[in-house]
Amino acid sequence: MNEPYRYIGKATQRNDAVGIVTGTVQYLNDVKFKNLLYAKVLRSPHPHALIKNIDKSKAENLKGVKAILTWENVPDWKGGTPGVTRILGRRLRFVGDVVALIAATSEEIAKEASSLIDVEYEILPAVFDEEEAVKPGAPQLYDEFPGNIVTPGFPIFGPKCLTAIAMGDMDKGFAEAEVIVEGTCGYANIPNPIPPEPPGAVALWEEPSRVTIWVSNQAPHVDRMTLSEIFGHEVEIFTHGHPVGGSFGTKIITWQVQAFATLLSRATGRPVKIIYTKEEHIAAFVLRPSSKMHARVGMKKDGTVTAVSGKWLVGTGHYSMTSQAQLAVGLGEVQIMTRCANWDLQTDIICTNRNASGSVRGFGGQELKCAFIPILSRAMAQLNLDPFEFIKKNYIKPGEGYFWRDGNWYIYRGIDYSEAMDKGAERFGWKEKWRGWLQPSAQKGSLRSGVGVGVHGNADIGEDTSEAYVRLSTEGTVTLITSLTEHGTGQRSNYVKMIGEVLQLPLERIFISASDSVIAPFDFGPVGSRGTYAIGSAAISAAEDAKRQLFQLAAPILGANVEDLETVDGLIFAKGKPEQCIPWIATGHDRTIMGYGRFDPDYTLANCMTTFVEVEVDTETGKVTLQNVVNATDVGQIIDPPGLEGQLNGCLGSSGIDSAIFEETIIDPTTGHILNANLIDYKWRTFSELPEIDNVVLETPISSHRFRAIGVGEVATSPGPSAILMAVSNAIGTWLHEYPVTPERVLAALNKVKSQEHAGGAL
Amino acid sequence: MRSFSHLNARTVSEAIAALVQFDGRARLNAGGTELFGALKDEFLPEYPEAVINIKSIKGLEYIKEEKGHLRIGALTKLSVLSESRLLRERYGALAEAAHAVAGPQIRNVATIGGNLCQDVRCCYYRYPRHIGGPINCARKGNGPCLAVNGDNRNHAIFAGRKCFAVCPSDTAVALALYDAQLVVVGPQGERQIAVRDFYTPIENLLQRTEIVREILIPAVTGTVTQSFSKFALRTPIDFAIVSVASLITLEDGICTDARIVLGAVAHNPHRALEAEEFLRGCRLDVEVSRQAGEFAIREAKPLSKNAFKIQIAKTLVSRAIFGQPAGFVLKGNFSETTSSTQMCSGKH
Amino acid sequence: MSDITVREKNKKISQAKRVTLIINGEQRNLEIGHLPHQVETTHTLLHTLRETLGLTGTKLTCDNGACGSCTVLMDGKAILSCMTLTVECGGKDITTIEGLKDRDTGALDPLQQSFIDHTAFQCGFCTPGIIMSAKALLNENSTPTEVQVKEALSGNFCRCISHYQVVRAVMAVSEGGA
Ligand SMILES: Cc1cc2nc3c(=O)[nH]c(=O)nc-3n(C[C@H](O)[C@H](O)[C@H](O)COP(=O)(O)OP(=O)(O)OC[C@H]3O[C@@H](n4cnc5c(N)ncnc54)[C@H](O)[C@@H]3O)c2cc1C
Ligand code: SF4
Ligand code: FES
Ligand code: FES
Repeated sequence: MNEPYRYIGKATQRNDAVGIVTGTVQYLNDVKFKNLLYAKVLRSPHPHALIKNIDKSKAENLKGVKAILTWENVPDWKGGTPGVTRILGRRLRFVGDVVALIAATSEEIAKEASSLIDVEYEILPAVFDEEEAVKPGAPQLYDEFPGNIVTPGFPIFGPKCLTAIAMGDMDKGFAEAEVIVEGTCGYANIPNPIPPEPPGAVALWEEPSRVTIWVSNQAPHVDRMTLSEIFGHEVEIFTHGHPVGGSFGTKIITWQVQAFATLLSRATGRPVKIIYTKEEHIAAFVLRPSSKMHARVGMKKDGTVTAVSGKWLVGTGHYSMTSQAQLAVGLGEVQIMTRCANWDLQTDIICTNRNASGSVRGFGGQELKCAFIPILSRAMAQLNLDPFEFIKKNYIKPGEGYFWRDGNWYIYRGIDYSEAMDKGAERFGWKEKWRGWLQPSAQKGSLRSGVGVGVHGNADIGEDTSEAYVRLSTEGTVTLITSLTEHGTGQRSNYVKMIGEVLQLPLERIFISASDSVIAPFDFGPVGSRGTYAIGSAAISAAEDAKRQLFQLAAPILGANVEDLETVDGLIFAKGKPEQCIPWIATGHDRTIMGYGRFDPDYTLANCMTTFVEVEVDTETGKVTLQNVVNATDVGQIIDPPGLEGQLNGCLGSSGIDSAIFEETIIDPTTGHILNANLIDYKWRTFSELPEIDNVVLETPISSHRFRAIGVGEVATSPGPSAILMAVSNAIGTWLHEYPVTPERVLAALNKVKSQEHAGGAL
Repeated sequence: MRSFSHLNARTVSEAIAALVQFDGRARLNAGGTELFGALKDEFLPEYPEAVINIKSIKGLEYIKEEKGHLRIGALTKLSVLSESRLLRERYGALAEAAHAVAGPQIRNVATIGGNLCQDVRCCYYRYPRHIGGPINCARKGNGPCLAVNGDNRNHAIFAGRKCFAVCPSDTAVALALYDAQLVVVGPQGERQIAVRDFYTPIENLLQRTEIVREILIPAVTGTVTQSFSKFALRTPIDFAIVSVASLITLEDGICTDARIVLGAVAHNPHRALEAEEFLRGCRLDVEVSRQAGEFAIREAKPLSKNAFKIQIAKTLVSRAIFGQPAGFVLKGNFSETTSSTQMCSGKH
Repeated sequence: MSDITVREKNKKISQAKRVTLIINGEQRNLEIGHLPHQVETTHTLLHTLRETLGLTGTKLTCDNGACGSCTVLMDGKAILSCMTLTVECGGKDITTIEGLKDRDTGALDPLQQSFIDHTAFQCGFCTPGIIMSAKALLNENSTPTEVQVKEALSGNFCRCISHYQVVRAVMAVSEGGA
């Protein structure tokens, strides 16, 4: 039984709720700045070109234009992993790459100026397909990346950063197998999470070398850290965070946008604002990495995976910022879902002439599972294994281990998720609906229903570091000082609840600082699902530290031992003697008590999300309708029920389940233009087409922090896509191996349309 | 948006005068839901010098029955059409088609005139200037059609020539079904153009100084069953992959007359004449409807990536004829109507 | 058509000099021109609300008619302010998210309160637009069914998937017959 809490586990009002429903929350673009200039970007019409000549004289003469920057008049600042991509370069590597930056007194003037710049290009051959890109003679994007293969390894993850899984004895593993399948799967539809709020920044440069940047990112310290690498450590960087209008992992790094504003402010001495249009957001910001896996899998009749060998190709577009990190995390995650003693999984990250891939929720694992689960499915099908039983058997159990992102081996000390999986299966009616591979669960006329299941889990719930201050004012209020921004999960309010619980203080008396990197301590931010455990731990221990300091001051006054003291509603007393109490202020009205909390990485816990889906396929039109979703998880302890529900319902959008049904980025195969860079042609789910969602959430205490809770928000999207592919294959009785399952693909699989070229793989 | 002069026309003739004054370099604005998308993305070779508001013209918003015709003012809003009891009862395909356009906020301001005169949605044609565009192509009079060898999943499967973009208008499909005419007014006076003829492969027949004033629909008579169904990737906010409007006259279970129009398959609403002819005299059943579907697509010549539209078109046609409601079509309305010539107002 | 007289043909219509409209109950008389405080002919209502009048509660997402985050009420109906020219709003009555609170007491609209009670938002960026669409529905039909609520909100993009909680929030007000 979980202990009863005053706030934890109860629905409480989010502290930004009134602001949100009245429209007074200030997102970045809502903030007013004096003397502001507006920036626009002139973008490349070619997927690969060299700038031969730029004539900006006409544009410079336009009234209101304050600065035009090109590769010729900016410092040689570079970003990326490794840092080889100039902020403004002479070489352009995708349609939409930055040619020039303009600052003007209005957006319209800046836009007009951009159309007055004459550019002469030397057009270079371009490559869009990852497999073409690695062939000899393919166009090369960077001298530093021969063969278009990006340098492996993510420096922050250390020298042993995971770039492959190699262990055991492959010959032995395959010899033990009762079935061996080999296949290729993946996707080329590179979904885009597209939060509603576009990326943006406002920067003010002050000579000689200080820049203040207002950001709409998840973690202002990460912005500061990233930019410091790019601008050089002699530039003093302040970042102010704002509420984020959706991120889904994309607004952890926005260095280009921030650098554009910085350079223009440096050139003009005025604050400069840049806000991407939705078209730029889709065509020139961040896509999910593309993923393709060729693998050979050995399996036994009882569902034991005896060996996995193969190659995983990750497409990163024109450069990489975090793809190496995603690859490392993805490799860790695949071990969490698949117990196997013998691995030889190699990888490559490949760059091509398209918009870049970058950080997106699901961070590597979703990408890999989209490719890997369909291959595993083939083996299961040959052995007539129920995929649900397979998942349950193979998902990590306490005492087992995995190589995590830093290349070290960790032993899992969390809970067994079998019970959550069973409860989910029961709610979904898996036993009744599962009829075997390639068997529909129901049919009526031309309609076929099918079911599928997927799983995902991540040991990133305890990744990276967080720090927090909790300041007590003795009149009885508390302020959490953190750099975190609110990006929709409600976590800023949840930390207030955690602190309220520790200090037994009404939530109305707990405040939270503005999100900046100026005073607030370091935080890696709400990436992965680390919000509840990692960040929560820092907030909790800061509150505990503050309480300890308070009790040290109160103990002599009450004549009690520090360990015997308690506080409720701003009063301090010895346990069992509430009538002899003093208010906090009795410790002195003129003091600040500052508690400090820190969380250091812990890779020994993982979360788990199992998603069951049922689809209905119209075999005459190819239309796939998602009817019903059950998400099953165990969170240890729910912090905020409606907040959690929101996170789990989020499984559909932001390039989750729907990226298997209709979401896709359409790139012209010869010119490299992204042809659907708008919200009409990039499809998203509307209110009219909501499937039923049922969330099964168990609360088995987990050894995390004092509330024994862990986060699951990020992983909600991840098990869905491969489950959809499985469900549609089962519904129509033939294997689909490409995302998304458009009418076109379904009809082609049913031989109702003359076969056409396919972008993805073949099994 | 880049600058333009702005004028409010109070009468049709003022609007025409303004068009003449700007010598064709002005654009009419009705609901603006298509126009401003085009102006913001600056994908056209020319940017208008002026925008002429025609919402300020009084008396162009109506649905009237008179003299064997239904008359619809060009400024009538799609939300009004879709909710009109008269239309729901007797011109159900049009009410459904109007309802199938975009989403609620757009239908509250979008007009039928604008819906008919909107530009195509080809992804090459509409590629925005500010992210490395615009893209030139045959429709812009500059270069080849890029869709032919490119991503043509949403393009024409019938009678393509030069340009393979499809007519995006949902209401045009229903109006072609009724043999509706556009009443067009210009400096030279008034003319009528059949909706079915209005769209050519590279443009519509409207002169730059003309305005659509009214839509004229011959009254639907006899006992007819009509339907409009739209197949899109999702509902709503989506253009049709294929749509079908049908109007079937039955006597004692025998089809005496049939009209079938396919949308989003050609530069114009595509009349499935062979299927219609086949149906005349047939007793409708599953097999007949299946065959009609086959006839409807017999002449189809798909491009490299859009052959799947043929299967969808075929299915939509056969379902329209022998309705199998359950979840196949995104929107469907089957209304039995007996026509009368009673006067009736469009609002309720 | 015969009614194009020579007089009319030659008469040029001139551009309007100002536009007067009501925003959240207050009459606004805006000059048309090129100065910062003026409204350009090219300005959308969204731009005017946010940039000229500082009413930033209405959000810009797609600027292309596709997402509904710029939804406001015009004469009670939900419309997209990004696809509407300010100079064409003369005489119109506009309500934005800032105008939903009770003008005298400052109390939240029951719909806003219901969104809070149901945590019917995540990042909240789409929320003002969704609330305005829901408000337009409730203006016309105070007891909508769930299907009607979904239909009325079908032009609103929410990427976080607040949909389920939003439908509950609107239905709660509907059942109350607000
Ligand atoms: C998100 C989104 C989704 C959409 N979905 C659909 C859809 O599903 N189906 C569909 O059919 N359309 C769709 N559209 C396109 C468009 O919004 C509608 O077609 C709408 O009906 C256009 O009407 P309007 O009055 O707003 O036209 P406007 O934008 O005012 O005008 C469109 C064009 O027609 C001209 N025009 C307008 N009225 C007249 C007239 N009386 N005489 C001569 N020329 C005129 C204008 O000059 C302009 O060139 C969509 C648009 C958006 C933004
Ligand atoms: S289909 Fe028409 S509009 Fe599209 S690229 Fe071809 S010519 Fe241009
Ligand atoms: S911003 Fe107006 S509809 Fe998207
Ligand atoms: S709450 Fe974030 S988009 Fe709707």
